[in-house]
Amino acid sequence: MATVTISDLHKAFGKTSNKIRAVDGVSVDIANGEFFVILGPSGAGKTTTLKSVAGLIDIDAGTVNIGGIDVTNVEPYHRNVAMAFESYALYPQKTVSENLASPLKSGRTGKYSESEQKQRIDQVTTTLGINQLLNRFPRELSNGQRQRVALGRVLVRPADIYLLDEPLSHLDAKLRAAMRAELKQLGAMSDTTTLYVTHDYQEALALGDRIAVMREGRLVQIGTPQEIWRRPADTFVARALGQPEINILDGVVDDGRIRLGDGSFDVPVPADARCSRGDRVRVGLRPCDIHVVGKHSNGSGMQGRVVLAERLGRNIELTVDLSGSQLIVLTSGREGVAEGEHVVMTIADSDVHVFGAGEGDTPRLGPVARESTLEAAQ
Amino acid sequence: MALKSSKRELLPGQKRLSIGSVAADAGLLFWFLFSLFPIAWMVLLALKNAEQQTTTYFQFSPTWSNFATVLSDKGTEMTSVDFKASLLTSLINCGGAVIVSLVIGIPAAYAAGRWQYRGSNDLMFQMLSFRFAPELMVIVPLFVIYNQIGLFDTKVGMIWVLQLVTMPLVVWILRSYFQDLPEDLEQAALLDGYTRRRAFLMVALPMVRPGIAAAALLAFIFAWNNYVFPLILADTNAGTVTVAITKFLGGGGQAYYNLTAAAAIIAALPPLILALTIQRYLVRGLSFGAVKA
Repeated sequence: MATVTISDLHKAFGKTSNKIRAVDGVSVDIANGEFFVILGPSGAGKTTTLKSVAGLIDIDAGTVNIGGIDVTNVEPYHRNVAMAFESYALYPQKTVSENLASPLKSGRTGKYSESEQKQRIDQVTTTLGINQLLNRFPRELSNGQRQRVALGRVLVRPADIYLLDEPLSHLDAKLRAAMRAELKQLGAMSDTTTLYVTHDYQEALALGDRIAVMREGRLVQIGTPQEIWRRPADTFVARALGQPEINILDGVVDDGRIRLGDGSFDVPVPADARCSRGDRVRVGLRPCDIHVVGKHSNGSGMQGRVVLAERLGRNIELTVDLSGSQLIVLTSGREGVAEGEHVVMTIADSDVHVFGAGEGDTPRLGPVARESTLEAAQ
Repeated sequence: MALKSSKRELLPGQKRLSIGSVAADAGLLFWFLFSLFPIAWMVLLALKNAEQQTTTYFQFSPTWSNFATVLSDKGTEMTSVDFKASLLTSLINCGGAVIVSLVIGIPAAYAAGRWQYRGSNDLMFQMLSFRFAPELMVIVPLFVIYNQIGLFDTKVGMIWVLQLVTMPLVVWILRSYFQDLPEDLEQAALLDGYTRRRAFLMVALPMVRPGIAAAALLAFIFAWNNYVFPLILADTNAGTVTVAITKFLGGGGQAYYNLTAAAAIIAALPPLILALTIQRYLVRGLSFGAVKA
């Protein structure tokens, strides 16, 4: 168990002419025992950050502290961290039990007698439900089983930090959900500081004590799942979370309302939004926050015509046309709206996210739960 | 009726004979015969006796005596070179060169495959450039140097010079094997608490075994077949089998073509046996299942 402090981490790949800045000034403080998730699209620098903590790559600048000790120039085998690789990285010429015994035999994770090794392996394989696979080789396992073995190799040994690199990404959807629940219930996970990298926002929200959203080598926002979901720092974070994606519409602030699209419909201005009358803004409305209240107008709410209704299991995804602007709305289906019909929708003013106007990713206009550490480091 | 259709239905994957494919097969057959002919000729020649050795008839009375002569003292008397001893010398020279190349070349290939540094490609290319120049170009200065430092006609000297032939081969072949190896595996070993040296020995090395087998075999064959270096830099003590064969052609005296052929066949056996022994290691595919595709 240990705290992790990364400050001003920089790492670039490639030659000076076409350098790719994989990690570009990342700073974060991770508390003892915390489950910290780094969320971001592929190529954001998540794995590079993780491997920097592990000491597997030579960083260009910055420092890494583990348990208050500067380990920036410490070899990986002295850092006492365990990592599950995205590629599993199981030794192909060794059986499952030999793979699991490998960290116990190195002598750097403690001294274990044969029986102690066996006991530890038994314990972890029982927890992960893979004790019938001990004598198999990695090539004889399914992806789900390989992933469990890779996780087992992390859990079998005591470590200050667990580093998990997309451990669930190659599983099918059902298995992923099951493993997510299992992962959360693992005792070792709740005791040990864990850095978890994923591109799946559901995993991040479900598992993380805190989430850092990463883009192009930088941390865009750090916060609890609640904060990240409720107060996205910019349109990138807002878009990164939620399926279907958040609706982003251009609008103009009017008297306590924001007029959207061609001005024929509007939403309330949330109380904490920092914008004033006449400002051009972008408004984010999550499909699940929009409520269909009926088919007939009584003067209030947004009115539109359903263009498309798709059933996605429990929910129905509506594509609603509001005089030229399209809005994605998630409904339970009880409203009984069909394609071609008129609907009236409302949204709570606290569910309206206001962002600055412009192209690309624009920041939130209003308070963001920014980490004090992030600000202190900048 | 069976004759309802003039064309028979084809099974899946079956093709009708076309003129193109027949011609291609005929061409291959011709090439096969053409390339096999010298070997067949050598075998025939090795079985002929002294009277018939210059005839071109396929009809003759075959004899094994040529092989016996080559390996016996009689052969030694005829050529003043002990063929058996040169066979052993060849094994020592080539085996030594291959071992030296592997011991130095494997770590070098690993370093070259894993780390890019300033000039690393130039270094690799420079190593390969030993193979560009004809050996005859360097043989005169080598001869002078070998004479002066006392390496002439020593096995150490021969191992040293043959290693120039085998080392680039080993390094270049194994470098590509190490490059194909996913780095995650060694990184996992580092995090398991192993040093870089142990990660290399425990993880990387076992996985390139097929590559080592292939490189060692090729290196051995190249060293075995080398002619110029032993011809100039060695004599009776470190002379190899390639040079010993030619003695049967008799410098100026009588040429024993049948004995030459028999000696050549004997000389071809060790690489052949080696190739057959290690061919099962030549199969790649140890790394399957290690990481996702």
